[in-house]
Amino acid sequence: MPLPTRWIAFSATMLCLSLASPIVLQAAPGDSALIKSRQDKLRDMGGAFKAIDDELKKRNPDWENAILPNAQTVQSRSSYLLTWFPKGSGPESGVKTYALPAIWQKPDDFTKIGKAAQAEAAKLNQIAASKDLAALKAQATALGKACKACHDPYRSPDYEKENDE
Amino acid sequence: MSAHEKNNKTRRWLVWDAPTRVMHWLLVVFVGVCWWSGINNELEYHLYSGYAVLWVVLLRLYWGVVGSSTARFANFVRGPKAILDYARSLHRRRSPHTHGHNPLGAISVLLMLGTVLAVVGIGLFAVDVDGLYSGPLSGFVSFRQGRHLAHLHYTMFNVLLAVIGLHVLAVIFYYAYKGHDLVFPMITGRRKGEMEPIDALQTAPAWRLAVGALIAAAIVWAITKVFYYW
Repeated sequence: MPLPTRWIAFSATMLCLSLASPIVLQAAPGDSALIKSRQDKLRDMGGAFKAIDDELKKRNPDWENAILPNAQTVQSRSSYLLTWFPKGSGPESGVKTYALPAIWQKPDDFTKIGKAAQAEAAKLNQIAASKDLAALKAQATALGKACKACHDPYRSPDYEKENDE
Repeated sequence: MSAHEKNNKTRRWLVWDAPTRVMHWLLVVFVGVCWWSGINNELEYHLYSGYAVLWVVLLRLYWGVVGSSTARFANFVRGPKAILDYARSLHRRRSPHTHGHNPLGAISVLLMLGTVLAVVGIGLFAVDVDGLYSGPLSGFVSFRQGRHLAHLHYTMFNVLLAVIGLHVLAVIFYYAYKGHDLVFPMITGRRKGEMEPIDALQTAPAWRLAVGALIAAAIVWAITKVFYYW
Protein backbone atom coordinates (compact mmCIF):
# COMPACT_ATOMS: atom_id res chain seq x y z
CA MET A 1 0.00 0.00 0.00
CA PRO A 2 1.58 3.28 -1.07
CA LEU A 3 1.97 6.05 1.55
CA PRO A 4 -0.37 8.99 1.18
CA THR A 5 1.26 11.90 -0.58
CA ARG A 6 0.71 14.28 2.33
CA TRP A 7 2.55 11.89 4.66
CA ILE A 8 5.52 11.88 2.35
CA ALA A 9 5.38 15.67 2.12
CA PHE A 10 5.11 15.98 5.90
CA SER A 11 7.99 13.60 6.54
CA ALA A 12 10.15 15.31 3.97
CA THR A 13 9.44 18.70 5.56
CA MET A 14 10.28 17.44 9.05
CA LEU A 15 13.46 15.84 7.78
CA CYS A 16 14.52 19.08 6.11
CA LEU A 17 13.72 21.08 9.26
CA SER A 18 15.60 18.73 11.53
CA LEU A 19 18.64 18.83 9.28
CA ALA A 20 18.49 22.58 8.81
CA SER A 21 17.80 23.65 12.39
CA PRO A 22 21.30 23.03 13.77
CA ILE A 23 22.69 25.14 10.95
CA VAL A 24 20.21 27.91 11.66
CA LEU A 25 20.80 27.86 15.43
CA GLN A 26 24.55 27.47 15.38
CA ALA A 27 27.00 30.01 14.12
CA ALA A 28 28.49 29.66 10.73
CA PRO A 29 31.59 27.47 11.08
CA GLY A 30 33.75 30.36 9.86
CA ASP A 31 32.64 32.62 12.75
CA SER A 32 33.19 29.88 15.26
CA ALA A 33 36.74 29.24 14.03
CA LEU A 34 37.47 32.97 13.90
CA ILE A 35 36.30 33.54 17.48
CA LYS A 36 38.20 30.50 18.70
CA SER A 37 41.36 31.72 17.00
CA ARG A 38 40.85 35.23 18.42
CA GLN A 39 40.53 33.78 21.91
CA ASP A 40 43.64 31.64 21.42
CA LYS A 41 45.69 34.61 20.27
CA LEU A 42 44.49 36.86 23.07
CA ARG A 43 45.27 34.06 25.52
CA ASP A 44 48.75 33.76 24.03
CA MET A 45 49.23 37.47 24.56
CA GLY A 46 47.93 37.21 28.12
CA GLY A 47 50.26 34.29 28.78
CA ALA A 48 53.26 36.09 27.30
CA PHE A 49 52.48 39.25 29.24
CA LYS A 50 52.08 37.25 32.44
CA ALA A 51 55.46 35.60 31.82
CA ILE A 52 57.04 39.07 31.65
CA ASP A 53 55.20 40.20 34.80
CA ASP A 54 56.35 37.09 36.68
CA GLU A 55 59.91 37.69 35.55
CA LEU A 56 59.78 41.33 36.70
CA LYS A 57 59.00 40.17 40.23
CA LYS A 58 62.14 38.07 40.42
CA ARG A 59 65.45 39.25 41.76
CA ASN A 60 67.29 38.26 38.61
CA PRO A 61 64.97 38.45 35.62
CA ASP A 62 65.87 36.26 32.67
CA TRP A 63 66.02 38.70 29.77
CA GLU A 64 67.14 36.39 27.00
CA ASN A 65 64.88 33.39 27.59
CA ALA A 66 61.85 34.97 29.21
CA ILE A 67 61.40 38.70 28.75
CA LEU A 68 62.60 39.27 25.18
CA PRO A 69 60.75 36.42 23.41
CA ASN A 70 57.55 37.15 25.33
CA ALA A 71 57.73 40.87 24.61
CA GLN A 72 58.08 39.92 20.97
CA THR A 73 55.03 37.64 21.15
CA VAL A 74 52.97 40.42 22.72
CA GLN A 75 53.97 42.89 20.04
CA SER A 76 53.59 40.59 17.04
CA ARG A 77 50.15 39.40 18.19
CA SER A 78 49.00 42.94 18.98
CA SER A 79 49.74 44.18 15.49
CA TYR A 80 46.88 42.00 14.18
CA LEU A 81 44.56 42.88 17.07
CA LEU A 82 42.15 45.02 15.07
CA THR A 83 41.66 42.39 12.37
CA TRP A 84 40.25 39.89 14.88
CA PHE A 85 36.90 41.63 15.29
CA PRO A 86 35.05 41.57 11.94
CA LYS A 87 31.32 42.34 11.96
CA GLY A 88 29.31 39.29 12.98
CA SER A 89 31.94 37.89 15.34
CA GLY A 90 30.18 39.15 18.48
CA PRO A 91 27.66 37.34 20.67
CA GLU A 92 25.11 37.46 17.80
CA SER A 93 27.18 34.68 16.20
CA GLY A 94 25.84 32.33 18.87
CA VAL A 95 29.40 31.43 19.89
CA LYS A 96 30.30 31.94 23.53
CA THR A 97 32.38 35.10 23.56
CA TYR A 98 33.17 37.91 25.98
CA ALA A 99 33.17 40.43 23.11
CA LEU A 100 30.39 42.97 23.64
CA PRO A 101 28.19 44.39 20.84
CA ALA A 102 29.56 47.85 21.79
CA ILE A 103 32.68 46.97 19.75
CA TRP A 104 30.67 47.26 16.54
CA GLN A 105 28.49 50.10 17.80
CA LYS A 106 31.47 52.35 18.55
CA PRO A 107 34.06 51.21 15.98
CA ASP A 108 36.00 54.49 16.04
CA ASP A 109 36.57 54.38 19.78
CA PHE A 110 37.37 50.67 19.65
CA THR A 111 39.94 51.26 16.91
CA LYS A 112 41.47 54.17 18.81
CA ILE A 113 41.88 52.06 21.97
CA GLY A 114 43.22 49.13 19.93
CA LYS A 115 45.85 51.32 18.28
CA ALA A 116 46.87 52.75 21.65
CA ALA A 117 47.39 49.17 22.91
CA GLN A 118 49.49 48.36 19.84
CA ALA A 119 51.66 51.41 20.53
CA GLU A 120 52.17 50.33 24.17
CA ALA A 121 53.03 46.77 23.07
CA ALA A 122 55.58 48.07 20.59
CA LYS A 123 57.08 50.28 23.27
CA LEU A 124 57.26 47.30 25.65
CA ASN A 125 59.21 45.31 23.07
CA GLN A 126 61.54 48.25 22.46
CA ILE A 127 62.23 48.76 26.19
CA ALA A 128 62.71 45.02 26.68
CA ALA A 129 65.49 45.15 24.13
CA SER A 130 67.18 47.94 26.13
CA LYS A 131 67.08 45.74 29.31
CA ASP A 132 66.15 48.68 31.51
CA LEU A 133 64.33 46.99 34.42
CA ALA A 134 62.72 50.09 35.95
CA ALA A 135 61.54 51.35 32.56
CA LEU A 136 60.16 47.91 31.69
CA LYS A 137 58.22 47.73 34.95
CA ALA A 138 56.64 51.10 34.19
CA GLN A 139 55.87 50.04 30.63
CA ALA A 140 54.30 46.75 31.77
CA THR A 141 51.91 48.81 33.88
CA ALA A 142 51.18 51.09 30.93
CA LEU A 143 50.42 48.09 28.72
CA GLY A 144 48.22 46.51 31.40
CA LYS A 145 46.26 49.74 31.57
CA ALA A 146 45.91 49.71 27.77
CA CYS A 147 44.48 46.15 27.99
CA LYS A 148 42.10 47.26 30.74
CA ALA A 149 41.04 50.36 28.77
CA CYS A 150 39.52 48.05 26.16
CA HIS A 151 38.42 45.18 28.43
CA ASP A 152 36.38 47.40 30.74
CA PRO A 153 34.01 48.83 28.08
CA TYR A 154 34.18 46.13 25.38
CA ARG A 155 34.50 42.82 27.21
CA SER A 156 31.72 41.44 29.41
CA PRO A 157 32.69 41.35 33.09
CA ASP A 158 34.92 38.44 33.96
CA TYR A 159 32.63 37.05 36.65
CA GLU A 160 29.66 36.82 34.29
CA LYS A 161 30.99 33.86 32.37
CA GLU A 162 31.81 30.45 33.72
CA ASN A 163 35.24 30.27 32.22
CA ASP A 164 37.58 31.63 29.59
CA GLU A 165 36.98 28.80 27.18
CA MET B 1 11.69 35.93 92.75
CA SER B 2 14.93 36.47 94.58
CA ALA B 3 16.91 39.67 94.28
CA HIS B 4 19.68 37.74 92.61
CA GLU B 5 17.42 36.41 89.81
CA LYS B 6 15.90 39.82 89.24
CA ASN B 7 19.32 41.29 88.97
CA ASN B 8 20.19 38.52 86.52
CA LYS B 9 17.32 39.49 84.20
CA THR B 10 17.97 43.22 84.01
CA ARG B 11 21.73 43.31 83.88
CA ARG B 12 23.62 43.44 80.62
CA TRP B 13 26.36 40.85 80.58
CA LEU B 14 29.61 41.33 78.73
CA VAL B 15 29.69 38.57 76.10
CA TRP B 16 32.04 39.74 73.33
CA ASP B 17 35.34 41.51 73.97
CA ALA B 18 36.29 44.54 71.86
CA PRO B 19 38.76 42.71 69.57
CA THR B 20 36.16 40.09 68.57
CA ARG B 21 33.60 42.80 67.80
CA VAL B 22 36.04 44.97 65.89
CA MET B 23 37.25 41.97 63.86
CA HIS B 24 33.66 41.05 63.05
CA TRP B 25 32.78 44.48 61.69
CA LEU B 26 36.14 44.94 59.97
CA LEU B 27 35.46 41.70 58.12
CA VAL B 28 32.07 43.07 57.02
CA VAL B 29 33.68 46.28 55.75
CA PHE B 30 36.65 44.60 54.04
CA VAL B 31 34.53 41.92 52.36
CA GLY B 32 32.25 44.72 51.19
CA VAL B 33 35.18 46.60 49.67
CA CYS B 34 36.37 43.37 48.02
CA TRP B 35 32.95 42.80 46.54
CA TRP B 36 32.62 46.36 45.20
CA SER B 37 36.16 46.51 43.80
CA GLY B 38 35.86 43.04 42.26
CA ILE B 39 32.58 43.83 40.50
CA ASN B 40 33.98 47.12 39.19
CA ASN B 41 37.35 45.68 38.14
CA GLU B 42 39.15 48.05 40.53
CA LEU B 43 41.70 45.37 41.21
CA GLU B 44 44.32 47.52 42.91
CA TYR B 45 41.84 48.19 45.75
CA HIS B 46 40.72 44.58 45.44
CA LEU B 47 44.24 43.34 46.21
CA TYR B 48 44.58 45.56 49.28
CA SER B 49 41.11 44.78 50.62
CA GLY B 50 41.80 41.08 50.02
CA TYR B 51 45.00 41.32 52.08
CA ALA B 52 43.01 43.12 54.78
CA VAL B 53 40.46 40.29 54.84
CA LEU B 54 43.25 37.74 55.10
CA TRP B 55 44.81 39.68 57.98
CA VAL B 56 41.51 39.82 59.90
CA VAL B 57 40.78 36.13 59.38
CA LEU B 58 44.28 35.08 60.46
CA LEU B 59 43.99 37.28 63.55
CA ARG B 60 40.56 35.82 64.32
CA LEU B 61 41.96 32.28 64.05
CA TYR B 62 44.73 33.27 66.46
CA TRP B 63 42.21 34.90 68.80
CA GLY B 64 40.19 31.69 68.61
CA VAL B 65 43.09 29.92 70.30
CA VAL B 66 44.49 32.43 72.80
CA GLY B 67 41.82 35.17 72.93
CA SER B 68 39.00 35.92 75.36
CA SER B 69 36.84 33.01 76.51
CA THR B 70 33.86 33.43 74.14
CA ALA B 71 36.17 33.88 71.15
CA ARG B 72 37.99 30.56 71.69
CA PHE B 73 37.08 27.69 69.43
CA ALA B 74 37.65 25.18 72.22
CA ASN B 75 34.89 26.89 74.22
CA PHE B 76 32.20 26.90 71.55
CA VAL B 77 32.91 24.26 68.89
CA ARG B 78 30.89 21.22 69.98
CA GLY B 79 30.45 17.61 68.95
CA PRO B 80 27.60 16.15 66.90
CA LYS B 81 25.51 15.24 69.96
CA ALA B 82 25.52 18.75 71.41
CA ILE B 83 24.75 20.17 67.97
CA LEU B 84 21.80 17.79 67.47
CA ASP B 85 20.48 18.45 70.97
CA TYR B 86 20.63 22.16 70.32
CA ALA B 87 19.04 21.83 66.88
CA ARG B 88 16.13 19.90 68.41
CA SER B 89 15.43 22.78 70.78
CA LEU B 90 15.60 25.38 68.02
CA HIS B 91 11.83 25.51 67.55
CA ARG B 92 11.24 26.54 71.18
CA ARG B 93 10.41 30.19 71.41
CA ARG B 94 11.60 30.58 74.98
CA SER B 95 15.00 29.01 75.11
CA PRO B 96 17.82 30.20 77.33
CA HIS B 97 20.51 32.45 75.86
CA THR B 98 23.84 30.89 75.11
CA HIS B 99 26.61 33.08 76.51
CA GLY B 100 28.63 33.21 73.31
CA HIS B 101 28.20 31.05 70.22
CA ASN B 102 25.62 28.27 70.44
CA PRO B 103 26.52 24.83 68.99
CA LEU B 104 24.84 25.59 65.65
CA GLY B 105 26.36 29.07 65.49
CA ALA B 106 29.76 27.41 65.95
CA ILE B 107 29.29 25.60 62.64
CA SER B 108 28.35 28.93 61.09
CA VAL B 109 31.54 30.55 62.43
CA LEU B 110 33.75 27.76 61.05
CA LEU B 111 31.89 27.79 57.73
CA MET B 112 32.23 31.56 57.46
CA LEU B 113 35.95 31.67 58.30
CA GLY B 114 36.63 28.63 56.11
CA THR B 115 34.78 30.06 53.11
CA VAL B 116 36.43 33.47 53.43
CA LEU B 117 39.82 31.78 53.68
CA ALA B 118 39.05 29.67 50.60
CA VAL B 119 38.02 32.72 48.55
CA VAL B 120 41.15 34.64 49.59
CA GLY B 121 43.40 31.60 49.17
CA ILE B 122 42.23 31.01 45.61
CA GLY B 123 42.44 34.74 44.89
CA LEU B 124 46.15 34.73 45.79
CA PHE B 125 46.78 32.57 42.71
CA ALA B 126 44.21 34.15 40.40
CA VAL B 127 45.39 35.83 37.21
CA ASP B 128 44.00 39.22 36.17
CA VAL B 129 43.05 39.22 32.50
CA ASP B 130 44.67 42.66 32.11
CA GLY B 131 47.92 41.45 33.65
CA LEU B 132 47.86 44.40 36.06
CA TYR B 133 46.85 43.05 39.43
CA SER B 134 47.14 39.29 39.48
CA GLY B 135 47.25 37.56 42.85
CA PRO B 136 50.66 37.75 44.59
CA LEU B 137 51.22 33.99 44.17
CA SER B 138 50.06 33.83 40.53
CA GLY B 139 53.68 33.34 39.46
CA PHE B 140 53.35 29.73 40.62
CA VAL B 141 50.60 28.90 38.10
CA SER B 142 50.28 29.23 34.32
CA PHE B 143 48.16 31.90 32.68
CA ARG B 144 45.48 29.35 31.90
CA GLN B 145 45.46 27.81 35.38
CA GLY B 146 45.37 31.29 36.90
CA ARG B 147 42.39 32.24 34.77
CA HIS B 148 40.58 29.08 35.85
CA LEU B 149 41.35 30.00 39.46
CA ALA B 150 39.96 33.50 38.87
CA HIS B 151 36.66 31.92 37.87
CA LEU B 152 36.80 29.54 40.82
CA HIS B 153 37.38 32.66 42.96
CA TYR B 154 34.05 34.08 41.69
CA THR B 155 32.24 30.80 42.31
CA MET B 156 33.60 30.55 45.84
CA PHE B 157 32.58 34.15 46.48
CA ASN B 158 29.01 33.23 45.53
CA VAL B 159 29.23 30.41 48.08
CA LEU B 160 30.41 32.99 50.61
CA LEU B 161 27.43 35.22 49.76
CA ALA B 162 25.16 32.25 50.49
CA VAL B 163 26.90 31.67 53.84
CA ILE B 164 26.54 35.38 54.68
CA GLY B 165 22.86 35.21 53.68
CA LEU B 166 22.33 32.21 55.98
CA HIS B 167 24.08 34.05 58.82
CA VAL B 168 21.85 37.13 58.41
CA LEU B 169 18.72 34.95 58.18
CA ALA B 170 19.72 33.20 61.41
CA VAL B 171 20.16 36.55 63.16
CA ILE B 172 16.71 37.64 61.95
CA PHE B 173 15.23 34.30 63.09
CA TYR B 174 16.66 34.74 66.61
CA TYR B 175 15.30 38.26 66.80
CA ALA B 176 11.85 37.65 65.32
CA TYR B 177 11.12 34.16 66.68
CA LYS B 178 13.05 33.92 69.92
CA GLY B 179 13.28 37.59 70.82
CA HIS B 180 17.08 37.40 71.11
CA ASP B 181 18.86 40.47 69.76
CA LEU B 182 22.24 39.32 68.47
CA VAL B 183 23.21 42.52 66.66
CA PHE B 184 23.28 44.87 69.64
CA PRO B 185 25.70 42.65 71.61
CA MET B 186 28.01 42.44 68.59
CA ILE B 187 28.15 46.27 68.69
CA THR B 188 28.26 47.01 72.42
CA GLY B 189 29.60 43.70 73.66
CA ARG B 190 26.75 43.29 76.17
CA ARG B 191 23.58 41.25 76.11
CA LYS B 192 20.45 40.99 78.26
CA GLY B 193 19.04 37.81 79.81
CA GLU B 194 20.25 35.38 82.39
CA MET B 195 23.78 34.04 82.70
CA GLU B 196 25.50 31.33 84.68
CA PRO B 197 28.37 32.86 86.69
CA ILE B 198 30.71 30.18 85.32
CA ASP B 199 30.19 31.60 81.80
CA ALA B 200 31.39 35.10 82.68
CA LEU B 201 33.70 36.49 80.00
CA GLN B 202 37.40 36.13 80.73
CA THR B 203 39.15 38.74 78.65
CA ALA B 204 42.60 38.16 77.21
CA PRO B 205 45.26 40.85 77.67
CA ALA B 206 45.78 43.47 74.96
CA TRP B 207 49.46 42.59 74.45
CA ARG B 208 48.40 39.16 73.26
CA LEU B 209 46.22 40.79 70.62
CA ALA B 210 49.14 43.00 69.55
CA VAL B 211 51.36 39.94 69.12
CA GLY B 212 48.68 38.25 67.00
CA ALA B 213 48.18 41.37 64.88
CA LEU B 214 51.92 41.45 64.16
CA ILE B 215 52.09 37.74 63.34
CA ALA B 216 49.09 38.02 60.99
CA ALA B 217 50.61 41.09 59.32
CA ALA B 218 53.94 39.28 58.90
CA ILE B 219 52.22 36.32 57.23
CA VAL B 220 50.27 38.59 54.85
CA TRP B 221 53.43 40.54 54.07
CA ALA B 222 55.34 37.32 53.39
CA ILE B 223 52.63 36.04 51.06
CA THR B 224 52.50 39.29 49.11
CA LYS B 225 56.23 40.01 48.89
CA VAL B 226 58.72 37.51 50.13
CA PHE B 227 57.91 34.42 48.09
CA TYR B 228 59.36 35.94 44.95
CA TYR B 229 62.72 36.58 46.49
CA TRP B 230 63.81 33.21 47.75
